[in-house]
Amino acid sequence: MRDVAVIGLGMHPWGKFADKSVNDLCRVAVEAALKDAGVSWREIEAVSAASSRFSGGKGWGLNGNDVVEEMGSTGIPVYNLSAGCAAGGNAFNIGYTLVASGLYDLVLVVGGEKMPKGFIQTSGLEETTDPEFLRQRCVGMPGPAFWASLCWRRMKDYGTTEEQLAKVAVKAHQVGKHNENARFRQEFTLEQVLKSNVVSYPLRLYEICPVSDGAAAVILCSAEQAKKRTSKPVWVAASAVATASFDDGITRGLGGLGPSGPTLHSEAKLAVEKALKGAGVGQKDVDLVELQDNTVYYELAFPEEWGFCKPGEAEHLMETGETMPTGKLPINPSGGFLCFGEATTAQGLFQVCEMGWQLRGEAGARQVPNARVGLAQTLGLGGNATAVVLKR
Amino acid sequence: METKPVIAGLFADTPQGPRLLGSRCASCAAPYFPKSAVCHNPKCGESKIQDAAFGPRGRLWSLAIQSYAPPPPVKFDEPFKPYAMGVVDLDDGLRVLGRISTDDLRSLRPDMPVELVLEPLYHEADGTEVITWKFRPV
Ligand SMILES: [Zn+2]
Repeated sequence: MRDVAVIGLGMHPWGKFADKSVNDLCRVAVEAALKDAGVSWREIEAVSAASSRFSGGKGWGLNGNDVVEEMGSTGIPVYNLSAGCAAGGNAFNIGYTLVASGLYDLVLVVGGEKMPKGFIQTSGLEETTDPEFLRQRCVGMPGPAFWASLCWRRMKDYGTTEEQLAKVAVKAHQVGKHNENARFRQEFTLEQVLKSNVVSYPLRLYEICPVSDGAAAVILCSAEQAKKRTSKPVWVAASAVATASFDDGITRGLGGLGPSGPTLHSEAKLAVEKALKGAGVGQKDVDLVELQDNTVYYELAFPEEWGFCKPGEAEHLMETGETMPTGKLPINPSGGFLCFGEATTAQGLFQVCEMGWQLRGEAGARQVPNARVGLAQTLGLGGNATAVVLKR
Repeated sequence: METKPVIAGLFADTPQGPRLLGSRCASCAAPYFPKSAVCHNPKCGESKIQDAAFGPRGRLWSLAIQSYAPPPPVKFDEPFKPYAMGVVDLDDGLRVLGRISTDDLRSLRPDMPVELVLEPLYHEADGTEVITWKFRPV
């Protein structure tokens, strides 16, 4: 396999844009990434696109085709990748593979989405073979309640308090306020978070990420092209995709096997372990982590599940400032999903953009000092996860 | 009053009491709820699926309280009242989601022993009572 560089990063800011189409959002992100890379649209040899369930794509998830039509129909191959909220990371993995394999030298990876209102819902069909439908109709358990149940167990196991959960949200906004692409750029006090409506006890409104509209794009290329085109390439040290293992104890449907070990998202752990191994780095070598914080729970649980700290230690690291950009384990210096909101298929790519800017030293007030290695992770419906390690 | 199950075939009131209706693999003992046509255990030598009934005793692994009126496809009787649901580890090896039957939400704790019950979930416009499985602290 060949070395692959990320030479272009582009984003449309996250928010709610009633008068813009998903194509409008993608065009802004793609044009920014092309300009950043110094590449013209006609030079792009293939597109790997995150396939959206909610918007664009001609209703069939053909989002990459929409982007090619929008930018100019050059006849290049398009790969539309569907993996729920992990689709952006999945599209990155295929874009990486296309360049690493030697098939193409210049590849665009793109994800853009306009989300429907409210928390993410089922397909809308009363389909009794759909585990999501069964869970909501028979038990009355929407997504946030599922996270709340994981969170309640953490409180039991490690003594996590409601104040500590709220402090994770406070911390996210202290960082995210510096990110011009984030949707929510105000700071919250601990009291404001604790006074926000309880959605599903123990989780409150400001502790759960909302849905947003947004788009992000990156340009990948071979080492040879990177040398010609940029003086500050960022290298893909590893890109990994994984699915859930049979016995991990997370109830993805109504019921299943009681776990034989700890209950965790095995797909995320597998993807991260695979990426770290592929990159030849250990947890101590990673200077920043962008993880999928749909809720504050994940910012505490994931670093422990992946061996970045001991079980039950995450609250202490957060409270002593170690997960801030200037700490010893910077987590979500972008502000994370809590500040961006979920534009499900685009988010794996906003993470790559953030890592790229951090490794190039261009992240301004949220810069992780001397960042050399970054890890990003996504998690999607159906037991999908991705992880990518970038290095300077 | 007319009653009906929320989804047909998921549970039954048997002579021994309420049970969840699923299946189990005779080769590797993996439990499935709802029923599965094949065994999904990658370590299983041979898929041998048989009907199985689960319950009634178990332990609450964790819980959540639905604090706001959820959107469809969740259904509830108006006016909305917060309710509890959780993850239950049944003694027979099935880990299953379920509503928790209690009027005292504050009394609930992870690791509490619970038992399976069949109770109303909501009422349809014509008054039909819709039944689901729940877990009652014991
Ligand atoms: Zn089996």
